[in-house]
Amino acid sequence: MTLNVVGISAALATFMGVWLGHVSVRKIEREIVRLWIPSLMAVALGSGFLIASLLTSNLSLATASGILAVTLFWDALEISIRQPRRIRHGYAPANPANPRHARILAESPNATDMDWLDRDPRGRPYTSEELSAIKDSAR
Amino acid sequence: MTTFGLWIGIATLFVIGLGFVWVIRGERYFGYLWWPYVMGLGLVCVVCSVFISNDWSSALLGAAGASLIWGSTELKEQAVRAELGWYPFNDRKIDPPFAHVIKKWKAPSF
Repeated sequence: MTLNVVGISAALATFMGVWLGHVSVRKIEREIVRLWIPSLMAVALGSGFLIASLLTSNLSLATASGILAVTLFWDALEISIRQPRRIRHGYAPANPANPRHARILAESPNATDMDWLDRDPRGRPYTSEELSAIKDSAR
Repeated sequence: MTTFGLWIGIATLFVIGLGFVWVIRGERYFGYLWWPYVMGLGLVCVVCSVFISNDWSSALLGAAGASLIWGSTELKEQAVRAELGWYPFNDRKIDPPFAHVIKKWKAPSF
């Protein structure tokens, strides 16, 4: 019986792509002021993987690079649009040292430099009083 | 020129997109304590993909397995989001077997 490594290749590319994307999108959006630069870099890198995927005759390499290409195109969208929106809503912590984030903090009432998700589940929902208390204690 | 990788890449985007849906729904109805079972199921999918000779099926099963493993690490944060009121909270969750043991473990989160 011959083993098929295409699935392993797809699994590794998917997991590493999501993991690296998850970590680097948040880090890059937090630090960079002009987001079109890293977004363009993600598109360029993704295009490189896409070309590699189209040109190689090795199916496992084609699979991994195809997945990484599409993931990087999605990352460009995350960097330029989706992550800044999370910052505006307060779903992700803003970085006051970043002038772009400082402006969001000044203009968006829900934006905060506190990480709401930095806590363990406790098994019951928070009341609005508790949420206000958490927000006040972070100030 | 081989377009297999591109099509698998696009299909994987939808598999990952499906991840958003099942993490939200799964946490709401079952709770984050199911994470070791979800992670195990993902690993089983990846291992099984090796024994499938059809390339499309093998690649999709591998991607789905990886997405399950990733999603298992997202469940804890999703539980907090629901408690914060960002998503509907359901207090009648169906606990997994050995929930009291899993509660003592540190749920992975990236």
